[in-house]
Amino acid sequence: MDKLLRNKKAIIVFMAPGLLLFTLILFVPICQSIYYSLCEYKATSITGPKFIGLKNYADLLKDDTFWIALKNSFFFLVFSCVTQLIMGLFLAGLLTNIDKGRNLFKNIIYLPCVLSSAALGLLWMFIFSPKFGINKLIETLGVQDFVKNGPLWLMDTKGFIVLPMWVIAFVALWQYVGQSMMLYMAQISGISKSLYEASYIDGCSKAKSFRYITLPLIRPMVATAMSLNAIGSLKFFDLVFNMTEGGPNHRTEVLATHLYQQGFKYSKYGYASAIGVVLLILCLLVTAFINKVVKTEQYEM
Amino acid sequence: MKKIKPIRIIIYIFLIVMAVIYLAPLLWVLIVAFKDNNHELMVAPFSLPQSPSFANFTFAWTAGKLGIATLNSFLVCTISLILSMLIGSMAAFGIARLRWKFARLSLTYFLLGMMIPVHCVLIPLFSRFSSFGLNNSLVGLILPYVTCSLPVTIFIMVGFFEGLPNELIESACIDGATIYQIFYGVCLPLGKTGLFVTGLMTFVANWNELLLAMVFISDDLKKTLPVSLSKFVGPYNTNYTQMFAAIIIAIIPTIVVYCAFSNQIVDGLTAGAVKG
Repeated sequence: MDKLLRNKKAIIVFMAPGLLLFTLILFVPICQSIYYSLCEYKATSITGPKFIGLKNYADLLKDDTFWIALKNSFFFLVFSCVTQLIMGLFLAGLLTNIDKGRNLFKNIIYLPCVLSSAALGLLWMFIFSPKFGINKLIETLGVQDFVKNGPLWLMDTKGFIVLPMWVIAFVALWQYVGQSMMLYMAQISGISKSLYEASYIDGCSKAKSFRYITLPLIRPMVATAMSLNAIGSLKFFDLVFNMTEGGPNHRTEVLATHLYQQGFKYSKYGYASAIGVVLLILCLLVTAFINKVVKTEQYEM
Repeated sequence: MKKIKPIRIIIYIFLIVMAVIYLAPLLWVLIVAFKDNNHELMVAPFSLPQSPSFANFTFAWTAGKLGIATLNSFLVCTISLILSMLIGSMAAFGIARLRWKFARLSLTYFLLGMMIPVHCVLIPLFSRFSSFGLNNSLVGLILPYVTCSLPVTIFIMVGFFEGLPNELIESACIDGATIYQIFYGVCLPLGKTGLFVTGLMTFVANWNELLLAMVFISDDLKKTLPVSLSKFVGPYNTNYTQMFAAIIIAIIPTIVVYCAFSNQIVDGLTAGAVKG
């Protein structure tokens, strides 16, 4: 048997397709991307990429839109990590405590996670359209002239974090909170019932047992869910692109949309690669940070 | 009679409000999609359509090219699904069961892919594919889709294959099976649950993917559903009811599948994410 499992030819047959594909489509392009980010490279140039050192990165520092995009991406990151943690835990706590209709509510809240965020982005764009969306609804419910005087939602440009960003962040929470909720629910239902029974005998309230039993035991899952959230919100593209396309006046640009605009609207490949490298580094840093801070040793259960 | 605690009632009221927040937007789009024209939408956006018609749907399906886009999406996603399950489970078998020095290392290598945003490889891939003539073809879309599905497929399948008892493979060996027969006839059928989960995750992710599809495909007849939808519901269209119908067309297949298999899908996707 050992001979069979050490067969060199079999190893190659099983591993080669995956490794080859992975290297050619993912790994080599990343190295290329890092190289391009150090080059002057436009789609129109016939000579191909020309090495110019760190100039693209220096340009990035002077690019106002890049700073807006970075700010918005960070806002997303923090907002989604915090709200998804709170809402996800809260919903998971509620749903594990009820019996009737648990599956129904669970499935309803999870539903948007499997739907196309491109379509949902368009849907919410219509809902926040000042003419016939939410403003009209509030007016129909009895507030006079709300269509005329209400907020412009996605067109608003005031404030450090503009109103459209809050709207998009809310929609993102609406769409993806089901994911966090499900992760926490899975972890909570894995906790042994006897732990809770023991705590009730010792006189714990439900809230107290949540604080002292549930929370510590699901801490590893918090790290997992948070890293998923963090990477997801840094990669965030579909909703922003379909709700505002980075507008008005680039105020809702995030890193991914900025990369798309620079790379494929203005054909600045080198410059866009530099944004991509920044994005990659951020993803790696944030994951490492979350795992370091949140993850602790697994408790024995 | 058992007394119902007031806290229960508050919980249920809260959950019902949540359910409304989740379902109302979808229902509203459905209602508007059946309305006749923009005028009705502007005057009474929240009432039921006066004379419901399918005209908006037929327009979006044909003139909006959503029909052909649905077909493209289906093709791309199905082929990517089959390929990624095959290649992924083969590699997972190689990592979990075959005995060689770099098995763990190659697993780490694959898992790195989970942290890499696809945006970073967009530009090199695009210029490379253009020079091979792979841009504007569905093959150029399938390749990165399969690759991006590999990390999660491999991760879950490695878990499944490692969980299989050793005796199973030993007895197959004694019966004289080749390594390929062991993989295809013994391990793969036993990993069906894992394959189902990874297949679902892959399919959903690829079905909804927008960025790669938008960059790689410019030919209207080859666009996938999210791209055609985003183009149809663009700033140059002013017929809102048609756009609402387009949104419904885009999400209805997923909703139908979800309603049919919701429990398996939710549990499956979570099982996958828990391990990932």
